[in-house]
Amino acid sequence: MPLLNIRNLSVAIPTPDGDVHAVRSVSLEIERGEIHGVIGESGCGKTMTGMAALGLVPKGARIAADRFHFDGEDLRENAARLRGRRIGMISQDPAAALNPVLSIARQMDDVLRAHRDMPRQARHSEAVELLAATGLPDPERVLKSYAHQLSGGMQQRVVIAQALATGADFLIADEPTTALDVSVGAQVLALLRKLVAERGLTVLMITHDMDVIAEACDRATVLYAGLSVETGPVHDVLQRPGHPYARALLAALPDAAPHGAKLEAIEGSIPPPRSQIDGCAFAPRCPQAMPVCALQAPPERTLAAHRWLCHLPEGSA
Amino acid sequence: MSEAPMLEVQDLVIRYRGRGLFAARPKPAVNGASFRLAKGETLGIVGESGSGKTSLLRAILRLLPVESGSVQLDGQDWLTLKRDALRRARQKLGVVSQNPFLSLSPRLTIAEILAEPLLAQGQRSGPDMQKKIAGLLSDCGLPADFLQRRARELSGGQAQRVAIARALALEPGLMIFDEPTSALDVSVQAQILNLLADLKESRGLSMLFVTHNLKVVAHISDSLLVMRRGDVIEYGRTEEIVRAPAQEYTRELLSFGRGTEHPVIHKTALPT
Repeated sequence: MPLLNIRNLSVAIPTPDGDVHAVRSVSLEIERGEIHGVIGESGCGKTMTGMAALGLVPKGARIAADRFHFDGEDLRENAARLRGRRIGMISQDPAAALNPVLSIARQMDDVLRAHRDMPRQARHSEAVELLAATGLPDPERVLKSYAHQLSGGMQQRVVIAQALATGADFLIADEPTTALDVSVGAQVLALLRKLVAERGLTVLMITHDMDVIAEACDRATVLYAGLSVETGPVHDVLQRPGHPYARALLAALPDAAPHGAKLEAIEGSIPPPRSQIDGCAFAPRCPQAMPVCALQAPPERTLAAHRWLCHLPEGSA
Repeated sequence: MSEAPMLEVQDLVIRYRGRGLFAARPKPAVNGASFRLAKGETLGIVGESGSGKTSLLRAILRLLPVESGSVQLDGQDWLTLKRDALRRARQKLGVVSQNPFLSLSPRLTIAEILAEPLLAQGQRSGPDMQKKIAGLLSDCGLPADFLQRRARELSGGQAQRVAIARALALEPGLMIFDEPTSALDVSVQAQILNLLADLKESRGLSMLFVTHNLKVVAHISDSLLVMRRGDVIEYGRTEEIVRAPAQEYTRELLSFGRGTEHPVIHKTALPT
């Protein structure tokens, strides 16, 4: 049974101008011990999906789903209890996640005191051990520091150590390397893979960056306009994308074209978040759209563990 | 090359002051950078935070004093220019920064934003200017009905097009881009990179393109300069550097994520 099991999740946020469909229909199955990438562009609903799993949707938002389970428990009722116990969060900007006026020691201790029943001395050695596990050299010195005295990569390691300190075994990482330099980001991704291998963690990695998916993830799900349109092993999704949007996204990358040649930009823009979508959400921008695409929701295509939604039959790419 | 290069930088050293009167002199932020940018070419400057790429850029914009070295802009000794001469020469430079919403005034319409550089230069507003503004906007791929909108009504890609149009208003010879696509989605980034290629072609622009994303800059630049901790560690034609990077660091940046030989690389083995 998947650790995170989401079937047709939708999140609608009421506004005076009508509902904003932040998430229209997202299905995700994340197995224990994998890093699952959720990839998409601004407005595709990737962050809101993560927030829904944390029980942190905006006030008044309506969540609906056929299934919305974490380890067998319904997240609609239990998200607030699971958050910080089983489910941890790593955000994009570690400097904003850490308190600037408290020492790292105090911030680590706050987490350990809240979540673990341990005497003071044991908490200190646990903090040292966790910081060392995230690859920070000289954890004692880090504990005495304040956030601004650490580099971005070190700050992100502290945030990861804090997430581990809660005892969480499932981490939602929302663009964890976007604020970091490429080489530092690569180290943080390598750390996450090491923690997954050594501690049996499971990670939901939210990103817009195909390179992060290739570097760190086992499987990936592509979101477009609040819909999960493709899912499968990373190798399949990046090498043989089935959905025309996933193909277009890969073709738009600067290294997809020969040096200096024109890139294949995706014309048009995403459907407005308040609109109703009939048929395929990508049809208005799809170079292979057929009349049926605008009328009927696309069926699911399957090739072993690789699934996508499209009216085009398999192998017609 | 008989023609003077658009930009020639020699042994440029930039050093910030140390803290306090008796503090030791800090290591230079840019430690002897030299390069030349031929007319109509694009030079990519790649480096991470602290590499000195922003200091280098600021010195070229004359926003930062230089300790030693020389900068020739279109045959002129750029660092000795003063006051009016400097102001006039600055029109040769167009600048586009990372976040268009910070660089475009939220109060003004797009037409007013595009008129600003022309008015500052002393041109009169009137039908000619309106025509010119509409031309700039359409060159950057936006329809004329955008002229009456304001920046907040635009998407990130549209706003960046307006920022590029504004930078082109005074017909600069050298365009300087500081992370112009880092805040944009992949599909929009492709549109902007295509626009830059078109403008380079149609206007014969020279470009300096600064970014931390080696893959983006390798695609559009003719030559590359890789900086690390103030030093230029690699400089040459883009094809050559991409084919055979001399530095381990450059290789690392190029191989991140989907490499060319191994499309999917994992640092550690997959759990089974």
